[in-house]
Amino acid sequence: MYKGAQIRYLMGESLAGFHRRKLTTGVTILIMGSSLLVLAVLTLATLNLDQLLARARASIDMRVFLLENLEPDQVAELQPRLIVIPGVQGVHYISPETALNEFRTSLGDEAGVLDLLETNPLPASYHLELTAGARNLEAVRAIRDEIAAWPEVAEIVFNQGWIDALEGWSKRFRMANLITGLVVFIAVVFVISNTVKLTMAASSRLIQIQKLVGATNGFIRLPFLCEGMLQGALAGGLAMGLVAIAGHFLSERLGGMVFFNWEQIAGFVAFCTVLGLLGSWSAMRKYLTLRSEI
Amino acid sequence: MSSHESLQQGPQDPRTIIGFYRVDLAYKDQLALRNVTFNVSNGEFLCLTGPSGAGKSSILRLIAMDAFPTKGQVIIRGMLASKMNRRKVPRLRREIGFVFQDFRLLEDRSIHDNVAFAQLVVGIRSAEIKRNVMRVLTQVGLWDKRHRLPRQLSGGEQQRAAIARAMVNSPKILLADEPTGNLDPVNAQEIIDLLFRINDGGTSVIFSTHDHQIVKSFGERVIVMDEGRIVSDEQRKTAVDRSASLVDRMYRPDPAGTNSNASREAAHV
Repeated sequence: MYKGAQIRYLMGESLAGFHRRKLTTGVTILIMGSSLLVLAVLTLATLNLDQLLARARASIDMRVFLLENLEPDQVAELQPRLIVIPGVQGVHYISPETALNEFRTSLGDEAGVLDLLETNPLPASYHLELTAGARNLEAVRAIRDEIAAWPEVAEIVFNQGWIDALEGWSKRFRMANLITGLVVFIAVVFVISNTVKLTMAASSRLIQIQKLVGATNGFIRLPFLCEGMLQGALAGGLAMGLVAIAGHFLSERLGGMVFFNWEQIAGFVAFCTVLGLLGSWSAMRKYLTLRSEI
Repeated sequence: MSSHESLQQGPQDPRTIIGFYRVDLAYKDQLALRNVTFNVSNGEFLCLTGPSGAGKSSILRLIAMDAFPTKGQVIIRGMLASKMNRRKVPRLRREIGFVFQDFRLLEDRSIHDNVAFAQLVVGIRSAEIKRNVMRVLTQVGLWDKRHRLPRQLSGGEQQRAAIARAMVNSPKILLADEPTGNLDPVNAQEIIDLLFRINDGGTSVIFSTHDHQIVKSFGERVIVMDEGRIVSDEQRKTAVDRSASLVDRMYRPDPAGTNSNASREAAHV
């Protein structure tokens, strides 16, 4: 374990690169911050899309319209059959009269137009409430296929188009996120690696003397690893800060937009810190060998 | 001890601290050392000499385990360098001090911090670092100038600071690669006297130089090298008065002319 004086030295050396090469380090953090900003924006878009999808899924319901002229007994018999279908957690009967009243309410000021009707054209239906596990396209389609075969059923309706589109976009965003993540990953590791190489080149005499007096490779490496990690963390923090500022100004226009929570921010910054660590590690793997070049 | 005697004793001799046995060292296609064999005993003062490119620095690199032999064996403090776990090299280097022609001090740190640095990186406690730094800086006569930066000192003082840094970890071996190369005769004398004092304390000193004036003045064991080979390995017959000034020794007429093979060889360097 390192002793007090060594820890103070290592901490000082970790920050020394920042102090000695303010411009290079600043530019590096800006470049990495910009790359990570793209990743953060895409992640945020995916997060919002997921949120939208979750809300849409929560509102997935199914209306089973019945044929006209069914006897009340036949209608009543359907309820126990519907409730036992896997994925269905509630079955509510909606009579033609109730349906007309709902329709009237939804029309608002225009409801007067319904007074022109001589008879109620709306059929009786069952509104199926689905369990959380069944609120996806696959399960909904399975339930629909089962009920559609029943002779009492005229039509089954659910918000399929909307969910289809949303799931499609969600998939595309995830893919874009993955690709961007990979590109950003490589770019950040490369940029940090180069910055740490510059620091190491500038510290070549220090490294050489450390080797000559018997410092272990771990001791020599630690400040450079810390420097890379710090750069990664600062770049991640910068990206998050920019997203937060943009989010603050856009939140009024984009009502209901979700922003990262503290855990997600910490996770993103931790991810960037790991990128920094990888960058500095890759720099040292090549440039820090046992040789002291005496 | 003659070269042949030392070879016969081999690495098993308990006094041997460094052993080279039929060592070749190649850098890519170029052979830097060819069939080099010699031993260094504990507490010995050895002078390596020869022209540039003769292989002096290669020998120092092998001892520092900065390079490993292409052929043959290098034994440092009883351990075969080529078979040594590379992770152990830093620990072994703590037993070796290095001094160079260009001092290699950290320009942005005071003399005190340069010396303390050698202790810091190996994990010595702060209180002990303070004591040890004071001890070595006093020994080399730089305690009063401890707060100065290297550029505020003369060449000789910088070299003394470098020696203090090399000695602060109390190494068993001191490697001095052309330590007087950048110094005038007076400063060179100070440095060599300092190396003698260190050697008197029991540290083995390996001193490389291509300056034949210095070699001529030496009463120690001298290995002369050329083109990667040992040309001669001689223990001077006459003991030199270490207390005498090097300048005196360098310019004093040699009563017996050139008094050994080694000095004759060195005179041609």
